[in-house]
This record gives sequence, C-alpha cells and structure tokens, in this order.
Amino acid sequence: MASFIGAMAIADLVKTTLGPKGMDKILQSTGRGRNVTVTNDGATILKSLHIDNPAAKVLVDISKVQDDEVGDGTTSVVVLAGELLREAEKLVNMKIHPMTIIAGFRMAAECAHNALLLKAMDNKEDSDKFRSDLMNIAMTTLSSKILSQDKEYFADLAVDAVLRLKGSTNMESIQILKKPGGSLKDSFLDEGFILDKKIGLGQPKRIENAKILVANTAMDTDKVKIYGARVRVDSMAKVAEIEAAEKQKMREKVQKIIGHGINCFINRQLIYNFPEELFADAGILAIEHADFEGIERLGLVTGGDIASTFDNPESVKLGHCKVIEEIMIGEDRLIHFSGVQMGQACTIVLRGASEHVLDEAERSLHDALCVLSQTVNDTRVLHGGGWPEMVMAKEVDELARKTPGKKSHAIEAFSRALQAIPTIIADNAGLDSADLISQLRAEHHKEQSTAGIDVISGGVGDMKELGISESFKVKQAVLLSATEAAEMILRVDEIVTCAPRRREDMM
Amino acid sequence: MAAASAAQSRKTETYTDTKRRDDVRGVNIAAARAVADAVRTSLGPRGMDKMISSGDQAQEVIITNDGATILSRMSLLQPAARMLAELSRSQDAAAGDGTTTVVVLAGSLLRRAQTLLSAGAHPTAAADSLHRLATRAVEILHSMAIPIELSDRDSLVKSASTALNSKVVSQYSSLLSPLAVDAALSVVDPAHPEILDLRDIRVMKKLGGTVDDTELIHGLIFDKKASHSAGGPTRIENAKIAVIQFQVSPPKTDIEQSVIVSDYAQMDRILREERNYILGMVKKIKASGCNVLLIQKSILRDAVTDLSLHYLAKAKILVVKDVERDEIEFITKTLNCLPIANIEHFRQDKLGHAGLVEEVSVGDTKIVKITGIKDMGRTATMLVRGSNQLVIDEAERSLHDALCVIRCLVNKRFLIAGGGAPEIEMSMQLAAWAKELQGMESYCIKEFAEALQVIPYTLAENAGLNPITIVTELRNRHAKGEKNAGINVRKGQITNILEENVVQPLLVSTSAITLACECVRMILKIDDIVTVR
Repeated sequence: MASFIGAMAIADLVKTTLGPKGMDKILQSTGRGRNVTVTNDGATILKSLHIDNPAAKVLVDISKVQDDEVGDGTTSVVVLAGELLREAEKLVNMKIHPMTIIAGFRMAAECAHNALLLKAMDNKEDSDKFRSDLMNIAMTTLSSKILSQDKEYFADLAVDAVLRLKGSTNMESIQILKKPGGSLKDSFLDEGFILDKKIGLGQPKRIENAKILVANTAMDTDKVKIYGARVRVDSMAKVAEIEAAEKQKMREKVQKIIGHGINCFINRQLIYNFPEELFADAGILAIEHADFEGIERLGLVTGGDIASTFDNPESVKLGHCKVIEEIMIGEDRLIHFSGVQMGQACTIVLRGASEHVLDEAERSLHDALCVLSQTVNDTRVLHGGGWPEMVMAKEVDELARKTPGKKSHAIEAFSRALQAIPTIIADNAGLDSADLISQLRAEHHKEQSTAGIDVISGGVGDMKELGISESFKVKQAVLLSATEAAEMILRVDEIVTCAPRRREDMM
Repeated sequence: MAAASAAQSRKTETYTDTKRRDDVRGVNIAAARAVADAVRTSLGPRGMDKMISSGDQAQEVIITNDGATILSRMSLLQPAARMLAELSRSQDAAAGDGTTTVVVLAGSLLRRAQTLLSAGAHPTAAADSLHRLATRAVEILHSMAIPIELSDRDSLVKSASTALNSKVVSQYSSLLSPLAVDAALSVVDPAHPEILDLRDIRVMKKLGGTVDDTELIHGLIFDKKASHSAGGPTRIENAKIAVIQFQVSPPKTDIEQSVIVSDYAQMDRILREERNYILGMVKKIKASGCNVLLIQKSILRDAVTDLSLHYLAKAKILVVKDVERDEIEFITKTLNCLPIANIEHFRQDKLGHAGLVEEVSVGDTKIVKITGIKDMGRTATMLVRGSNQLVIDEAERSLHDALCVIRCLVNKRFLIAGGGAPEIEMSMQLAAWAKELQGMESYCIKEFAEALQVIPYTLAENAGLNPITIVTELRNRHAKGEKNAGINVRKGQITNILEENVVQPLLVSTSAITLACECVRMILKIDDIVTVR
C-alpha cells in the first residue's frame, strides 16, 4: 500500500536523530540564498520537508501537533507511528483484516496507557525532589541536542525560568535573545526584559522607577490621510506658516505624551529627529522602531497598554518597572528593563559561536522549556532511556497472551513496535541492539525494574540512578497520537486523486 | 572502574551504518576540506595572496590575504563548505584575526576524523573526544600565556605587527601597528577598561599618496569638501560647531502644497519672502555664535540651497552638508555636542567647540578636518592612504585585523607566542595526555592532536622551507622543554619566537581552537542532507 510506504519513509528519515547519540541533518533550502540549517529537532525537519505522499503528511501533522501540545517527543511520535505501520503491513500481508488490526491496536494502546498511569511517579508534594525531577527531565531532553555538552548548565537555566512562571504555560513571558559571540557557556538567565534597541541621542541612559508609555503611533507628522489632499497658498510666508503649524502639531502631540507623566516612551514606529529632541529636552527616554513582537511583549510584562491616541491620559494604562538601563552584551548595547510588573517575565540570553549554533540552541531550549512547563502542570514523571516502552511492551505482551483470536497478533505487533524505540536508540549509538534489548527484556521481567539503555556506557543501566527522566505527559501524547495516526492510515485502502475540474470531453 | 568502563566502551565503539550515510558524511568532509585547502596557502607571513574577481558584470577585483574575506567572497553551494566559510566569519567576529588559521585547523581535524571514521569509530565518540580535546587545549594555551598590561605599549605594538606581517602591507607594519595601538588605546574608557568598541574607531580611505602617509587624527574628518560655492570660509579657528538635523532652505510642508502665482508682483514678493525666511534662519544661527555647521542629509528636500549657502558664507559660517544620519551619533560623541533638530532649539549649550576646522587637500580631493576638539569623546579616526584602490582596501582590512588583535588583548590580557609554537606545544601535550586515556577516546585524541601540527607544517611549507625537517625539529625542541620555540620564517630556522617579538593574543588562539572543534563536531554529527522548500 502506497500510504504505508510514504509514512515509513518519513519515519526512517527522522529515525537517526533519536536519542542522545542521534545524528543531525542539514536542511538545505532550494529557495533563494540556499539557506542551511543544521538540526536535530524532528519537528523542524518535518516541517520543512517537501512532501507529496498524503500518508506522510499525516505523520508530519502529528509531529506538529505534538510540538504545539507538549513541545518535545516530536521525533518519537513519528518513529512510533512508523513502526506501528511497519508491523501492520506485515499483518496485512498475512491476510489479517485492517479492522482487526485496528481493534487490536486499540486494546493494546489502552493497556499500555494504563501501564504508564500505574508506573508514573509524582513528586508534587516534595519541592526539592520535584526540582530534581525537573532537572533530570531537562537534562534528558537536552542531551540529544547541541546543548548536550553543557546540559547541566542549561537545564538549570530552563528550570529556573520555568519555575518563575508559577504554573502558567505562557511561553510569551520567557524571551529568548540570541547574540552571536562568546560561547554557549556565556548564556545567562536574566530577570526582566531586554530590548535590542538603542536609546535616542542625548537622552538619559538610566531611569529608576520608570513609568512607561508603550505606543504605536506615527511620530513624523499626522498627515491628512485623504488622497490627493493639498493646500494652495499664494505666498512663501504662508508655506512657512503651514510648516510651523505642522511642527506645532507635533509639539502638541509630544506635549500630550509627556502629559501622561511618563519618563520613558517606546514607539513601534520611527521617532523623527524633531520629537526625539523634544523628548531629550524633557529628559524622557524615547525608544523608536521597536519591533511589533517586542512592543507586545513589553506591554505584557510591564503591564501597560499599547496606546495610539493620547487625548485622555486617565484611560491609558502605563507600564511600570524599577530600573531601565543600557547594558552591554558582547559588543552590542541593549536596553534592560528590570523589576517589571509581571514577575514571571525573564529573558534568556543565548551566546554562541555562529548563527547555526544559536538557532539550534534556541530550538533545543524551547523544547526543554515546553516540556518543563507541561511537567509543572502535570507533575507525573517517568524514567527515560526506553524504560517506559519496555514497561508498556511487557504489559501489552501479557494482554496478547490473554486475548483469543486474530486480535492477539495485532497486540503482539504493537508490543514489537514499542520495543523498536529502545532498539533505535541503541542502534543510533552504535550498540548491539539485539543483545541489549533481550537483556533489557529480561531485566523487566523482574518486578519494579528501573532498567533502561545507558547509551554513555553502552549497556543496560539503572535509569533511576542515572537520573534519566521523561515527562509523563509527553510519553502519553506520543503513545496516543502515534496510535491514532497509525489507525487512520491503516483505514485507508486507496489514495484517490481528486480531479481538478470535470471536463465534458474527458468523461 | 576503569577496567569496567573499558570493557563496556568497546561496545560503543563499533559503528555500522548504511552506505549512503557514509557517503553524505564523506562528501561533507571532502567539500569542507577543499575549502580549507583553498585558503591554506595564504597562512603565515610568507603566505600568498589571492586575487578574487567577482563573476558579475562589474568584474571587481580584490587582492587579499585575509581568510575571512576570501571565504566570504567564494560562491559556495555545498552546505558543509558553507559552514566552514561561516566558521571563519565567526572567528572574525570573536577575535578578528586568525581567520585563516581556524579554517586550516578545521580542515586538518576533518581529515583525521575521516581516518577515524573509516577505522570504525562512532561519529559521536569522535565528536565527544573533540570536545574534551578543545577544553584541554585551552587549558594548555592558558598555561603558556604571558600576562600583559595595557600600559605596556611595546607588547601591544609587537602583537599588532605580528598580525600585519602576513599581509600585503607588511612592509609598513612598523608604521601601522603603533597607529592601531594608539587609536585603540585612545578609545578605551577608563570606566570600562575591559571593553573596546571598534565602532568608536573610524577608518577613512583616501586614494593617493602611499601607505606611509596613513595617519591617526585626533579629531574628526569628513570625506567631503566644505560647501563654499558662494565663497564661504574654508578655515575657522576657535570653531563653535552645530550639528543640525533641519534644513536651511525654503519651507516645505509634509502635506502637499502649491503656491499660486497670479501676477508678476506676486512673484517678486515670493522671492523676497523666501530670501527673508532664509535670512531669518541664518541670523538665528549666527546669533548663537555658531560658525561651523554640519547639516544632516535629508531625503525630503534640499538641505541647503545656493541662496542659503550664500547667506551662510556671508555670515562667515563654514558648512558641511550631506552628513549621513547614522554618522550623527559618532559625530556628536566626538564633538561632545547635541544634535539640533529645529531652528527654535538652536542654543549655545548644544554647540561643540574645536580649536580648528579647516578644509585640506588630500591627493586630488578635499576633506574637512576638525582638530583640537574641546572635551573630545573617546573616538578616533584614521586616514588610510594608498597608491591604488586595491592597496587601500587591503590596508584597511589589515588595519581592522590589527585593531581586533588589540581588542582581544583588551578583553583578555594575555599574550602567547606565535610562529606555530602554541600548536606544537598543544599537540605534544595532548598526545601525552591521550596515553593516559582509555579506549576509543585515547585513539581519537591522539589523531586529533596530530592534526594540530598542520599549522607549523603549513607555515614552513608556505615559507619555502622543508616542512618535515622543520616540524620534526620543532617537536624535538619542544620535547626538550623549549615551550616558546617556533618557526622563524625570516631566518628560516627554529628560534625562541618570543625573542623575535612574534606574539599574538591568547584569545585568537583559544577561539580558533574552540571554534574549529565546534564546527568539526557539527559536521561529524550530520548524517543526511535534506532538501527542503
């Protein structure tokens, strides 16, 4: 079936990026500039692929959903779905009806899910232990990425940032700023907000107890926005008068803005020389041309509204922060807002040798942050390193033995697909997977085993001791959406190409 | 523990992969190495230059020895090759010098990596040992470093000349390096002694004369002549300078306007009004005591008209027009004044003061020079001269390298010997360290340690010496404990390189080795090239 082949091809493509010893891919764009991206992130790879096969598109979609929902496990979900389909194909060749396979898969998935629920650990009560859980999860996520060499450092950074959020999953208030130069170790977490802009000429470089007005308004001239409007005058003096009037209008506008009792004015659009000077004279810090994202975020973290008219100062909510000052990061001058109203807000400044490194570091950190914020809400954790898959496989195997009928083949196949994940992790690390998986299975036959694959030493290790953890929510999402996707593709028996337009003579 | 991990690690170190993935990695390595080989001959004081001709209509030609420039001009399509070009750009940003070194180093490391892979090492094992090697190498470099003080001008000049010696302008290194040092030191802010912002140093190029005529100007220059079509002054002593962002020309509104003239008398009146308007402005300017006017370029209307120039000339005000907006900040910082955006705000306290503003002839063009600035900001301006455009461009690039070298020293105040000495020392110490390690890591580090010898090898080769003799002798001398023995290219033999004054900043070497390792690790970890939209 064509739909199987396409989906499996996609799974095979991203398979090699799985696990701590997974490889990277170069994404070469065929567009202008032939941009090059080096990445290990499944979602990024799949997002940029050019895909024809409809079944393959389903897999790309589930990885996208996984990315939006939980942020991590984007590769795992595609690989698991691919493996399920591979097993299903064998069954179909054995003349088992797809519907029977689906029924078996459903039973297996439910059983596996229950097994996970049973085995999940929850350390919500103990805050120290919970923090160490978070650290472990962050380190596990980061270990497969470019940040793996400094994973402890970044895990700490990510955990600090997420704990500041106090349970909200709003990633908006964590700003990631990339600055080339220095090394990854020079990255740091900063409370407050950093804007990559310059302070206008001759204006104060440091303000305490700032009252901030965030605006999106034209600071050149309020042009009469009627097409073809023009004035007719009969002397030069009158032209000069009009010019003076325009200037006066600007001055009034600036006066109105100053009338808000502010000492910092941030505009999304340009601030021309003339108003800039007026602001400088009034001792107000004015920042021009802040990008839209920066403005919105600034409004959010300082608790101010974005204003575009200035007639009623009472109705405009001003933003507040303790100190605004100019700081240097590497070579560049940036504006730092500290003590902002929204206490959760923080900025992670990433430093790195090149754009490639920075982009990939941002993606990795984003994954870690997403997983952590999910875990803060759903505090259940699991061990990593193929442990959950083995636990599920064991339970599913039990079920297969108890189930009569053809369905049991499908359930067995499900268990094999689950075991494929640790197999791939081992294969990617250049280990003898056949040997390791059988060892692992034997270990798991004992009750309460915590054995998983220890890629670093190349054997079966105790995941609890090694501190390799994964978020329950991620695993659950991987299991459920992979099964659903496989089921959906399995139901398809033919791909029909729609006719673009019906033509008389063709029929 | 050690025995156990050795037994286990045996399993990690076999790598079986499909044929196609090997191909991708092989192709990547081959492409990156080809790039490295292309710039290899330009390494060192006796390195050769490249002539770069652009493929388009303009047929522009550049002659350079600067690795970063060569690589940025190459049209590279293979992604791995482009990563190498970016590597040299990163080195340029981080240290400013050593852009060729870093690429040659990466090429050599990749060659060793290929041997390792074909011997069955797992790419991530190689990548991880490379990371450990980089950390260790930086430690070794630190142990070799000699601390310096910024007040030690001699040492700074020495390291700047080492950077200049490999360039086209090497014969002028004795002249350019003190200039670079003085310029750099004059912009270091005592409040932040660890930061040197190269944007505070302006390098201006002027055709004519020779590189000998290059000078450092304590003040400001404009690459344009004073506007004196109406016979205005070209030399003003005790200047009071205003930087204005408005225009001295007839009024123009933002809203579209037209003046309707219905008869002759009106025309006359309009002309008169225009004259009065401008005269009023000029009078206001004159009233503040200003006698030098720097006018920002305006796209909306003429900054000055013939008429206003005439009045300004009569008021004995020197005018420089068409100053770019992004230059305003530099100018106001230098002159210690504020820009004026409106005639109403024209006040004396916004003016800058200077001893002398004059128009001087340089070659066949004229420039405006401002010297003797009162309370001058921490900026510097250099005027580079040369007999043709190619020489000037290369001189500018070389000067940039020299300035970067000093910036490195300001950031990290350590010097290290040049002439291949640190590379040989690292290679020997790392090889000794590799013997203490176990398993694949030991093997990888041993291979990579040897890869570092490519730098002295290439130095010798480019200087026309026998590379094998030189490198073995160098190794011998280092084994005897002469840490600073290096290749003296001028004498063609091994000497204590410190005595020859061949020194470079520590930051250049450390960033070269860490960046090269990082790039190689990245290339090693790639197993597929995916074409995307």
